[in-house]
Amino acid sequence: MNFKKILALVLAVAMVLTAVGCTGNNTSSAPESKAPESSAVESVAESSAEESQPEEVVDPAVEYPSFNVGEITTNIAPAGGGEVNYNAYKGVAGKDYTDEKVYTHNEYMSGNQNMNWNPLQWETNSDSYILDYIQSVFYDFVLNEDLDGWAIIPEMAAELPVDVTAEYVGKFGVAEGDTAKAWRIKLNENITWQNGEAITADDFIYSYQQLLDPAQKNRRADSLYAGDFRIAGAKEYFYAGQTSYTDTEGSVALADLTAGEDGQYVDSNGNKYYIGFAFPLAQTGGDTLKDYIDAYGDTYFDLENVEALTALMDDNGLIPLTDENLALFAPVTTKNPAWNETEADLPNYFVVAESFEEGNWDNVGVVKVDDYTIDFITALPTENPNYYVPYNLSVYLVYKPMYEELKTFTDGAFTTTYGTTVETTMGFGPYKLDYFELDKQITFTRNENWYGYSDGKHEGMYQTDIISCAVIEAQATALLAFEKGELDEVNLVAQDMAKYASSQYIRYTPQSYTTKLTFNSDETALAARGTQILGNLNFRKAFSLAIDRSTFAASYTAAGSAGYGMLNYMYVYDPFTGASYRDSDVAKAVLCDVYGITYGPDGDYDDIDEAYDAITGYDLEQAKELMELAYKQCKADGTYNDQNVEITLSVYSSDDTYVQMFNFLNDALKSACEGTGFEGKVSLKMVADADYYETMYSGNTDIIFSTWGGAAYSPFTLLYECYCDAADGSGNQMEYGFDSTKVEVTINVDGKDMTYSLQDWARWMDNQVDVPMVETEGMQPFASYDAATRCAVFAKCEYVYLSNFVNTPMYYRNVGSLVSQKGDYAVDTYLDLVGFGGIRYFTYEYDDEAWTAQMGNLVY
Amino acid sequence: MHKYVLKRIVLMIFTFFVITTICFILIKMLPLPTIKAMGRDAKLIEERRKMMGYDKPIMVQYLRYWKFLLQGNMGLGEQMYSSREVSEVMFTKLPYTVVVNLYSILIAIPLGLMFGIYAALRKNKWQDHVISTMVMFFISVPSYVYAFLVQYFLCYKTGWFPLTAATREQTTFFSWTMFHSMVPAIISLGFGTVAGLTRFTRAELSEVLTGDYLLLARTKGLTRSQAIVRHAMRNAMVPILPMILGEFVGILGGSFVIESIFGIPGIGSLFIQSINLRDYNFFMADTVFYTLVSLAAGLVIDLSYGFIDPRIKMGAR
Repeated sequence: MNFKKILALVLAVAMVLTAVGCTGNNTSSAPESKAPESSAVESVAESSAEESQPEEVVDPAVEYPSFNVGEITTNIAPAGGGEVNYNAYKGVAGKDYTDEKVYTHNEYMSGNQNMNWNPLQWETNSDSYILDYIQSVFYDFVLNEDLDGWAIIPEMAAELPVDVTAEYVGKFGVAEGDTAKAWRIKLNENITWQNGEAITADDFIYSYQQLLDPAQKNRRADSLYAGDFRIAGAKEYFYAGQTSYTDTEGSVALADLTAGEDGQYVDSNGNKYYIGFAFPLAQTGGDTLKDYIDAYGDTYFDLENVEALTALMDDNGLIPLTDENLALFAPVTTKNPAWNETEADLPNYFVVAESFEEGNWDNVGVVKVDDYTIDFITALPTENPNYYVPYNLSVYLVYKPMYEELKTFTDGAFTTTYGTTVETTMGFGPYKLDYFELDKQITFTRNENWYGYSDGKHEGMYQTDIISCAVIEAQATALLAFEKGELDEVNLVAQDMAKYASSQYIRYTPQSYTTKLTFNSDETALAARGTQILGNLNFRKAFSLAIDRSTFAASYTAAGSAGYGMLNYMYVYDPFTGASYRDSDVAKAVLCDVYGITYGPDGDYDDIDEAYDAITGYDLEQAKELMELAYKQCKADGTYNDQNVEITLSVYSSDDTYVQMFNFLNDALKSACEGTGFEGKVSLKMVADADYYETMYSGNTDIIFSTWGGAAYSPFTLLYECYCDAADGSGNQMEYGFDSTKVEVTINVDGKDMTYSLQDWARWMDNQVDVPMVETEGMQPFASYDAATRCAVFAKCEYVYLSNFVNTPMYYRNVGSLVSQKGDYAVDTYLDLVGFGGIRYFTYEYDDEAWTAQMGNLVY
Repeated sequence: MHKYVLKRIVLMIFTFFVITTICFILIKMLPLPTIKAMGRDAKLIEERRKMMGYDKPIMVQYLRYWKFLLQGNMGLGEQMYSSREVSEVMFTKLPYTVVVNLYSILIAIPLGLMFGIYAALRKNKWQDHVISTMVMFFISVPSYVYAFLVQYFLCYKTGWFPLTAATREQTTFFSWTMFHSMVPAIISLGFGTVAGLTRFTRAELSEVLTGDYLLLARTKGLTRSQAIVRHAMRNAMVPILPMILGEFVGILGGSFVIESIFGIPGIGSLFIQSINLRDYNFFMADTVFYTLVSLAAGLVIDLSYGFIDPRIKMGAR
């Protein structure tokens, strides 16, 4: 009994001690429900620290820092632009179309949902794949005789383009003294359709008329009126009889306009202006102001004039911009302080109407001179025409009898089956479409009526007789087929590299695409998910510096290389020399500055090349310092309060590769947070979302992988077109919330400081002329300057853009592929514009018979 | 019976109308992909969408859709197979799916029945255990795993079969060449069907074999085989046959993974891609097609009960 009492006493004491111990633990690591007590404890600790140490002052976070990026000296481009190489590689004698053996090139493509090779409607690479074989071009870019670059040769054209601008003065907007706006193309008189009928200037005129037919709304129509080589009058013809309404997005102030006789404001072109009352506007996030008024009423707006304004509204939701109407409108958005707008914001509601008169083909700058001569008159002069006229002159040619037979209008909608089957295809290239089975097989055979096989200018070329393309969706199947000898080329994926990386038959094709992590930096959108820390510049930079891009690229891409800049090595800033932007000193300096690599007498490296080679973009120590700074700034500005934060990374799917990539990035983020206030509290969350681009465009996620590319010979337009056009997701820019109009950039141009927004600089580089550099500073349109000048300006702006860390370049895309031992391309190293030489110069070691005999016995 | 069939057909039409209406509204509630085109005219895309009537009120679009559908016009692809007629794409691809699945179940059904019957007759003996283990294995492992193995060993290593299905340029659908080229896909698709049918047949037959009427049949003097064939199989087939009919309906669905591995241009991926890419016309064409097929199959399966077992009267109270 006594023993029991003693035991009970011991147990009671033990329980009390345990309880005390537990209480102590609770104090030091209070659960969330005890948060006030926990705060009190921490508060005391902080007070003690404050008493013994001077208070740490944290610089407040800056959302949009200003940049003074130094000076540039400008030079105008020389006339013509530069020398062009016209000496093409002659190929290998005898290994050409005269070889009597049969050679088949077995290719494949992965499944594609688009297969429409109508020259006026094609959309995708798969579509153009067919066109590339069955069409010729005016001028082709082929291997030069030194096999180290390109040369231009006329194909469907008989000779080089001739500037005939002087002949069109007074027509098509050509003024006295203009040059480089009208180009005469003499056609090769031997060109025929695959059925042997001659192709003349009339075929071209007919085809261009069909292309621009407003009723057909052909997908390629904008090739003639958008971009750098705009045909005079093409857009007016295409939009004939229509009025196009465009949101000015605040780019036009009332002072820029004049009141017409009816009181409605017009611009210098006579275009009428309206107030977008029930019209979707960027200012209201793609919705209409009327929607907002209906939804929120007097909480945000002054409703006194709304009824009157509604009565003034037309069917498009627009109200003519007059002084009276503006006076009625202004109080709606400016009187209620909750909407937080002033009269300075009113231009954001302006909409411009562009009217196009009835179409008249005589006003379109495609003119038949004679049966074998056509003139193309452009709306703007072509800079560097020796290069850009051949580069931009595309052929849009349809066979009239077939096209007329196949086009139909159903209930107002135009449809045609032209270019969707063998029977509805009429080519004019070195090969003709012989067999097509949707998503299964495409076969081309030699077009015996092609002029090139009889003009004596293509000897040493086109040894391939048959091109057989299988559609194989699964890459693993394609690789097995390649190893069996059934395919002559196969693309590799990351897991294949261990086996084939050292193969002598591997080829690397660089692509213009840079894959990036794109961040949402919009305060409101982030607040909705509790991820405001991503809006902090130092946080984004720290995350970026914590990512080891080389490991990432090697682990998760087939042949990608670590990416650091907005543009990769594919982008050429001087088409005449083929000089790569990324290899220029100014571009190298950009990345050294962004990633903190120093060079020169006081730097870590002797010269810029060494410094550039040392860039890894990975600096965990600096990442941690910046992360701690971000922590303090977020605490100070109230965007973070020690809560757990999950930042959403939206990816296309939840397959293994994405999961691994997510894990890699999550580990990188956690590493950067180690030892900082964010440690253990900030992580990534992966969400599979096939519409992740759309999700980012609406601000509903935090991070995505994004990719822009293309136009490798027009790099300078990319900054505006893809990265700076609209912060609200209404443009191409994916970095939601990054408002490039708020980033001030000062460049000293020829000794004069010019301070404008990043977007203004980007618009100037996009060849827009309604920019302050031209209108206020008196500078020339951007395209007028020489390549070095343009390269320097772009580099300054790339530095500014990258320094905002609204995205983090991850890797430059490359495609690794194996080429079979059956034959080989003319060169082993990829060359801009001409690749490895293409099918034109592909030569064979085995004909079909010999290849079948040894099938599957070769080792790669 | 006729009255019952007519009643079912009327109900089918009503159900078809409700399903297509709901699907039309739901897909139209998903916005079209935003137009993002560097250096191109976004307005042109808008104009093309207007030309297809996408800017009109949803009711107008709905009526327009029915108008065209009743004329046999399912519209054009926009996001997929741009400017191609939806019906043309579907009916170009459908035969491949039908043929490979048809071959697959024509081989799989006898095998499944055979293994199932054998396992039931040898219930709880080692033969039954082996078959049951194999069944569990083949049901548990996804078909694409067999597909890769089959492709590697039978096509690549031994070279007995081609890696991908033949084209229509080389042969016709019901030729030896086409069949030979599809054997790897047929095998890969068949494993699951054989296993499922084996398991189901074994379970049903095992239950029937323990019935009193079977004991009665034996005591009447029927041999074991006679009793099984005349009585046990007939009763066991009542639930099995609808399952087999269901397999035939399933042949129209296709298998995205198997088709992509063996280069079969079937329709396995159309439905999901039409939703992902938001191609309204393809989605609606798929919906209409599969709804019709499923409703018809439901009716056929229901009617089949009456044929298998005359005691089951369709529509009788």
